[in-house]
Amino acid sequence: MVQLQDVTKSYPNGVVALRGVSLRVEPGEFVFIVGPTGTGKSTLLKLLYRAEVPTRGRVFVGNRDVTRLPAGAVAGLRRSLGVVFQDFKLLPGRTVFENVAFALRVTGAPRDAIRPRVQRALDLVGLADRALHLPAHLSGGEQQRASIARAIVNNPSLLLADEPTGNLDPNSSWEIMQVLSRINLRGTTVIMTTHNKTVVDILRRRVVQLAGGQIVRDQVRGLYALDA
Amino acid sequence: MRLTRSRHHPIGFLRGVVEDAASFAGDAAAGFRRNGLMTVAAVTTVMVALLVVGAAMLLGLNLARVASAVEAQVEVVAFLQEGLDREGAARVRGELAALPGVASVAFVTRDEALRRLQDHLGDAAAFDDLVKTNPLPDSLELQLTDPVLAPTVAQAVSRLSGVSEVTYGGQVVDRVVALSRSVRLVAGLLTAFLAGVALIVVVNTIRLTVIARRQEIEIMHLVGATRWFIRWPFLIEGLLQGAAAAGAAIVVLVLVYALGVARLGASLPFLPLVGVQEALEPLAAAVLLGGAGVGVLGSMIAVRRFLVI
Repeated sequence: MVQLQDVTKSYPNGVVALRGVSLRVEPGEFVFIVGPTGTGKSTLLKLLYRAEVPTRGRVFVGNRDVTRLPAGAVAGLRRSLGVVFQDFKLLPGRTVFENVAFALRVTGAPRDAIRPRVQRALDLVGLADRALHLPAHLSGGEQQRASIARAIVNNPSLLLADEPTGNLDPNSSWEIMQVLSRINLRGTTVIMTTHNKTVVDILRRRVVQLAGGQIVRDQVRGLYALDA
Repeated sequence: MRLTRSRHHPIGFLRGVVEDAASFAGDAAAGFRRNGLMTVAAVTTVMVALLVVGAAMLLGLNLARVASAVEAQVEVVAFLQEGLDREGAARVRGELAALPGVASVAFVTRDEALRRLQDHLGDAAAFDDLVKTNPLPDSLELQLTDPVLAPTVAQAVSRLSGVSEVTYGGQVVDRVVALSRSVRLVAGLLTAFLAGVALIVVVNTIRLTVIARRQEIEIMHLVGATRWFIRWPFLIEGLLQGAAAAGAAIVVLVLVYALGVARLGASLPFLPLVGVQEALEPLAAAVLLGGAGVGVLGSMIAVRRFLVI
């Protein structure tokens, strides 16, 4: 599903976010990327949805060589995956329904297919009864579920989540993890960066630990930290 | 842009295109509303630039008209040296008639020349003095087989003895052409300058729209909207601004020109002016094209500079 080959990413200001990282994620996997702030977790995800290009090495998503993707093909890549952020990135002036529908509308989905697909996505994240609310009237957990609905409404085979529980209280975090697990069970590959030790330790999924821009641990059914 | 969908259903595809166009136009109109003052500034600036272009164009059209009117009556006139007697004049006339390209030669006495001038300029009291001391020389007027030959014939004529000076309509044509060239140059420079200013203002207006919509744009990029899908509304907004400016400029130009033609036509009836109706089509085409061009170019620059994600 996803493959990084000896990837190094350094930014123009001299910061080296990733050094020689190689990683392979199989279809249907659920992977936690853990590690302290500034170790390149977000950069790794950005390479996957082509918000950044690696300085060295190659990145594959599906069978696309993301490194060599021409600018015009980025849209196609983005339609094949979903991205969720810590700060939700919902449009404040639009309802939950419209926020989710937006992703379909701007990617050219046929109009009559939009409503049922949005409905299905909202059902999946358990937000059907909030469809007509504005983001500001929702709790943080609900907003994050709305943004997850937007990320999956295109039926992507890969879901990237960058600290999705970073702004949420423990209860809401659990809601989010349940939703992500449900999505993963349907066959979607999920890669999630997190600081949330509890979540990682309870779910016991594959854990990839980064430190100083390098992978220092890659463990199946792992814990947040080795000594835990 | 929507090749991913309905490729096999032409009607569905068409409907999609229409829906897109409607939604793009809606976005563009929203941009218009959002930056009201800035939009007014942009439209006004573009309009002023277009006024200059249009005015220069009208002037150019009329100068071309004058030039061709003069060209149609090209003849070479050889002014004879003062004091040349009848025989001398007859000799020169014979020599002129023998020149290649000369169709006919007519002798015009100085009295005849003065009478013609009087006719042309109307009855002015100042002529009374002139009639007494007529300063005009006798002349020979040459009709040519081809107006193009005027400069060659004129040169040959000037070498003949007994001829003091040669003029031909071509000189007037040359002067009119030179005048329209300098009009074009000045107007071109002015237009380039104003177009530059207009462009900057348009770029800035579109930039404001880009900023106002940056959240939406970021999400569009994120969920995989194509670059052109994101760009269209901005290009349409620029196009609308340019077209609005062009429309206003055309109205102003036509009104002022109609007034000017009426006034000038009354006081200088011999001027061959281009009619309003006749000028309207090329004028409207050029101004519209210019306005739309500046609008689209401005939004393209703004999109290129500020829409990078």
